[in-house]
Amino acid sequence: MDAEYDVIVVGAGFGGPVAAKRCADAGLKTLLVERSGVPGEKVVSGLVIPIYGFLFGPEFIRDGNPPIQRPICSVVNRIVKDGKIFFTDHTLWVPKPITVGYSAYCKPFCTWLADRAVESGAELRTSTTAVDVIMDGGTIKGIVTDKGERLGSKVLIDSGGTQNQLSIKAGLREKFTPEAIELYMLWDFEMDKADVDRVFGNSMEFFHAMPEEKIGAPLGYGSTLYFFTYRESIHPGLGQFLVTRGETPNAAKLLREYFDNFTGTIERWKQDIAPKVKLRSVLWDVCPIYAGLLEETRGMPIYGDGMLIIGDAAGFEASAFGDGVPNAWFSADIAARVAIDAVKKGDSSKAALKAYKDDVKADPFITHTITDFRRWDMRRLLLTKDYSQFKRKIRDHWGIGAFRYSNMGGPCLKAMGRMMKDDPTVVASWLKMFTRYWKNWENNSFDRLSTD
Amino acid sequence: MARTSEELPGVEWVEGAGQFVTIDEAKCTACANCVRVCLGGCYELAGKKARIKSLDNCLECGACWYVCTDGAITFSWPPGGTGFRSDWG
Ligand SMILES: Cc1cc2nc3c(=O)[nH]c(=O)nc-3n(C[C@H](O)[C@H](O)[C@H](O)COP(=O)(O)OP(=O)(O)OC[C@H]3O[C@@H](n4cnc5c(N)ncnc54)[C@H](O)[C@@H]3O)c2cc1C
Ligand code: SF4
Ligand code: SF4
Repeated sequence: MDAEYDVIVVGAGFGGPVAAKRCADAGLKTLLVERSGVPGEKVVSGLVIPIYGFLFGPEFIRDGNPPIQRPICSVVNRIVKDGKIFFTDHTLWVPKPITVGYSAYCKPFCTWLADRAVESGAELRTSTTAVDVIMDGGTIKGIVTDKGERLGSKVLIDSGGTQNQLSIKAGLREKFTPEAIELYMLWDFEMDKADVDRVFGNSMEFFHAMPEEKIGAPLGYGSTLYFFTYRESIHPGLGQFLVTRGETPNAAKLLREYFDNFTGTIERWKQDIAPKVKLRSVLWDVCPIYAGLLEETRGMPIYGDGMLIIGDAAGFEASAFGDGVPNAWFSADIAARVAIDAVKKGDSSKAALKAYKDDVKADPFITHTITDFRRWDMRRLLLTKDYSQFKRKIRDHWGIGAFRYSNMGGPCLKAMGRMMKDDPTVVASWLKMFTRYWKNWENNSFDRLSTD
Repeated sequence: MARTSEELPGVEWVEGAGQFVTIDEAKCTACANCVRVCLGGCYELAGKKARIKSLDNCLECGACWYVCTDGAITFSWPPGGTGFRSDWG
């Protein structure tokens, strides 16, 4: 071995730095490996991180000043029929400074997270790809980098994201089935802050439609075009599952065609938005949104001898909204706890690491959100052309119904109860977070990044 | 040294990525799934086989690898610090 570590974390996206910071805080010799030159510059996302991630995830994020783009207080759901907005649901909103989430660009946010890991004593190696795992019998003993270095670990944490390679090389997982994967294309537009404030305020806006409207991708239920709103930009996008009912759609053609159709027909775009925006970037990536719904992917191992798999690499993306950042944070926290315990006890065998699987199962959010059939079931409704049902489902799913106990209300109440029992003062931390984040946004002032 | 593309504004590619996606022609059944899902237009069908035209507009998403159920496509990461990057992801 060229070097030995207690813990090696692969991937400085959203989950990896959290695990690395925790391990470093516990005094473990920790290495965080990232293939991009700057953390987050290869991560492509929506992105509104839902509030449950901030409230119930790592306290250093809650109590810190990460670079957010815009506090989001409401979701405006529009249903399009015959090329026009036919119904708008405004039921999901909270009063400011409370929010339902915060939008963010991946590069500054992931850099901020990686900075926290480094501050705690983790070593960060950027521009380094982990190309293989080192195996000894069935035990994972470390990684091989693209520079040929062999780096040893007592516990390897794979947070490499959707296209995870290491856990496949380790023989633990197979690649996700394409039915589980959504291909999502997005367009980033510059827009003056005053215009975003006026046109969207602190809302994000979703356009839902039946397939024949051709504004959201037609298969795999994705008939929604999402507008994520940022500080001085907007980030619309739409997704398409790679395979639905055995068919691979011509996504390369459809996603662009549908976006063009939307911008060509919808008055809201043509009048309120188009005159004020300038295209800045076109991007895409895939996400394993239905991994938790399909038996073959949900059943794949998330740990092995000397290895733990977190976040997207483990298929922990929420199936209803496609949010994966909170689960990446929750699983990172759990993985770090288990890794610290294993290193301290000198036992990182599969039996010792089983606690990870048990704790993931007991987490109020992970299992609940990855096995949520609401969005999957919408596919059937889209074939019925029943607009009154459609309106009801939109309200139940993306509107006020999102707070219902059986939806996100239950897990949130459980997590709240658990945290308040441990420490009643957590309520004050939550309130402080809302006001501090809002003030930071108003002043456009966040922690300095190592890259500034 | 970073390259840009007019088709995909706001993205840069750092040289040195190499051929990190490859096709095993013997396994390719010419189903065209890869052509259909690649938003970078990296693939084409040539005769009875898929061919990678160029990875110049590749965003390393892996969609082609996922839809190739015949196992003809191998996908790996380019060397550290190479390949695409963006400030707007
Ligand atoms: C288009 C899109 C929209 C989305 N919208 C939302 C949203 O609105 N809200 C939300 O909460 N979630 C959203 N998600 C999901 C969210 O982005 C992911 O769930 C989250 O990024 C997962 O975190 P992670 O740490 O598991 O992986 P990632 O954040 O993807 O990080 C993986 C990191 O590992 C690095 N890496 C991978 N392999 C290696 C290797 N072998 N060696 C070195 N480095 C490696 C990568 O470069 C990357 O930096 C969206 C995803 C997509 C694709
Ligand atoms: S998806 Fe695979 S089998 Fe189908 S054309 Fe492409 S390379 Fe060939
Ligand atoms: S990884 Fe994505 S962008 Fe690159 S060739 Fe495959 S489908 Fe196209």
